[in-house]
Amino acid sequence: MKSLLNNIKSRFSIKDVTEQRSNLVFIDVARESAVPLITYLRDYEGMTHLVLLTAADWIEENEFQLTYLLNNPEQKFDIGVRVRISREKATMETAHHLWEQVATYQRELKEMFGIDFPGSPGVDKPFILEGWDDLPPYRRDFDTKKYSEDTYFPRPGRESNDPAEYMKKKMYPNEK
Amino acid sequence: MSLKDILSPFTAWKHVVKDPVTIKDPFTREAAERYRGFHKNDIETCIGCGTCEDICQNAAIDMVPVDGIETRDGDSGLRPMVDYGRCCWCALCVDVCTTNSLSLSNHYNWIDEDPDQFRYIPGVDKKEWDTNEKGWKKPEGNYELYDINRVKMEEQAPESRDDSFIEIVKGYSKEQALLEADRCVACGICTATCPAHMGIPEYIKAIRNDDLEEGLRILYDTNPLPEICGRICTHKCETVCSIGHKGDPISIRWLKRYIADQHPSDQYKEILGTRDIELNGKTVAIVGSGPSGLSAAYYLALLGYKCTIYEKLPEAGGMMRYGIPEYRLPYDQIDKDVNYILSLGVEIKTNTNIGTDITLEELQEQYDAVFAGTGLHMGRSTRVPGTDHQEVYQAVDLLRDVVLGKEIPVKENIVVIGGGNVAMDITRTLARLQKVKFGKVSIIATSLESEDIMPADREEVVEAREENATIIPGWGPTKIETEGEHLKGLHVVKCTSVFDEEGRFNPKFDEEQIDYFKGEMVVESIGQGMDISYFKGDIKENLKLDNRGRIIVNENFQSSIDWLFVGGDIIQGPDVIHGIANGHKAAIGIDKFLGEG
Repeated sequence: MKSLLNNIKSRFSIKDVTEQRSNLVFIDVARESAVPLITYLRDYEGMTHLVLLTAADWIEENEFQLTYLLNNPEQKFDIGVRVRISREKATMETAHHLWEQVATYQRELKEMFGIDFPGSPGVDKPFILEGWDDLPPYRRDFDTKKYSEDTYFPRPGRESNDPAEYMKKKMYPNEK
Repeated sequence: MSLKDILSPFTAWKHVVKDPVTIKDPFTREAAERYRGFHKNDIETCIGCGTCEDICQNAAIDMVPVDGIETRDGDSGLRPMVDYGRCCWCALCVDVCTTNSLSLSNHYNWIDEDPDQFRYIPGVDKKEWDTNEKGWKKPEGNYELYDINRVKMEEQAPESRDDSFIEIVKGYSKEQALLEADRCVACGICTATCPAHMGIPEYIKAIRNDDLEEGLRILYDTNPLPEICGRICTHKCETVCSIGHKGDPISIRWLKRYIADQHPSDQYKEILGTRDIELNGKTVAIVGSGPSGLSAAYYLALLGYKCTIYEKLPEAGGMMRYGIPEYRLPYDQIDKDVNYILSLGVEIKTNTNIGTDITLEELQEQYDAVFAGTGLHMGRSTRVPGTDHQEVYQAVDLLRDVVLGKEIPVKENIVVIGGGNVAMDITRTLARLQKVKFGKVSIIATSLESEDIMPADREEVVEAREENATIIPGWGPTKIETEGEHLKGLHVVKCTSVFDEEGRFNPKFDEEQIDYFKGEMVVESIGQGMDISYFKGDIKENLKLDNRGRIIVNENFQSSIDWLFVGGDIIQGPDVIHGIANGHKAAIGIDKFLGEG
């Protein structure tokens, strides 16, 4: 792992390295280095298996974070390549040419976060949401509760009480 | 077509005699240990705070009343009902639960033809998985969606405060207040327990939004003494805080102080919209300028009444000024709250004693109504032999004399009798004076109550000890040892219990265990009584008392004499926040009585 880290540090501009466990390291890189780095890891460092590609919404910093989790099946360790992209203009270079299944992950991220991967096969096809016309639901500014209240009618007979109001009614009904 | 193509389908026949890989009866298969299945709720632990309902992103939870569960302080009496047509088994409700009563079993299969069966109250509507130990629980350890530890309040260290009356508590910074406010789940369980029913979740929300003007308006809706209450309120609200079940309760009192501290008093009228109050031509006299009198005056003034407060002592505030030591409540903070009330046109006549300087009858003639909130200022005596000695004092008298600037006859060794907040106040006050006069502290406070049931706030006991006072709970005084004009000490006997089975005050002693505390001065602090000698003649005749000698008032704090309203410690409490609540209700009652409300 050490020599691997030295190898990539001399070739790519690495922002930060977090050694999570002996068999798991996270590497933060600039956007332009991300796809070249995972290409290098696949082709020269035995990280031949893509475990997953996922995203997180850092809304306070106005950024999305993409994580490419790669696995070295021979030496049995994982590397997570993390990259921050702008939330406003949420696009990223496609990596489907490295692993075919990346296209499916990218299609999912397009639908759930609204992150575009131009050139990725079928990236605009609906993934699971079927006719979604709201904010991408994994964005943190999507109000899940409001959506469920607006979209689904309550079962007839449902009634709820606010604890503070209910306590007033029971314990001090005559006070202002 | 090759021969292989013709024969290969027949190879499948070999599976006919193999065991199937699928499960024959999936309905008896148990789910994984931490599977998130149907809800369970320990309804005895649940307090109906509704945080589960609030966090549910599918609006799957309703808070509903349940037969046999009473609404009481700290428990709304409601319990969550889950609609499984909406639940997505995310378990956020479990993760946010303030009491850890809610959990998910790992039971996942349930068939019924009636869709309404899939709405039920976990823990109330009995289910077969109620005793299922497996499933999802909030993980132990440091897993919380909010911080269970309160933001620490900075205080003066014991060595930098024990010889002066400098304020101990420093107050929250903006950063600290925001963090503390962020711990609140806004359930509102606290509101019912606050005697003034303050909008606690609402003003904490104002802090989170950094809208402190809105915060101040919410405070003044129910409490015109926020600087004072933000420092010395008995904070009963915090005892029922839902977060307190598994962590530290929210610092509601310090957050209130934070709001009040942020606004200079000259902005109050602008923020609270009280620049132009129209007088309605009616007048009210208020006897006593303690919390109830000030509160009544404030809310009456808002309604347009011209109020005049009559105060026996040189300055306003009652027990807040003349009972509570300056290190807990600095005088300038009392002045800030009081001066704002006076700025609304409330007049105050200090050094004026009702009954001698002006009578109650005269007030009745000159004003449309009278509110009396004269408090409890007469110390009660233990009446053990020796209490008539000149070196035996009453705590309330000494505390008052300190504020009045009189010389306090501090002795080198002092014994205080009492375990309440007043006892701690006088102990800590005298300890400071001893430190200044003798360079050391030698004071013992002893109470009937054992340490665990001492009525004083816990922090008072802790801080008194930090200041080198000795607190010895669990002893009853039997005799004060005297020798001519000198006092020698206090004889005590072990107190084994204070209350009987019915909860009445009925102390029991173990005569075998005795002790003796040396001292040249004894201070009694076992409670205070009211002085209502200013009720004379017809008023005294017509004023109805109950069989324990307490004045009877209705829900508007109106006495049996229709123009006379009574509130504060002589009716309820004793504490500041009850007085404030009483004064507010009396103001509404007076408004009704005078035909304006």
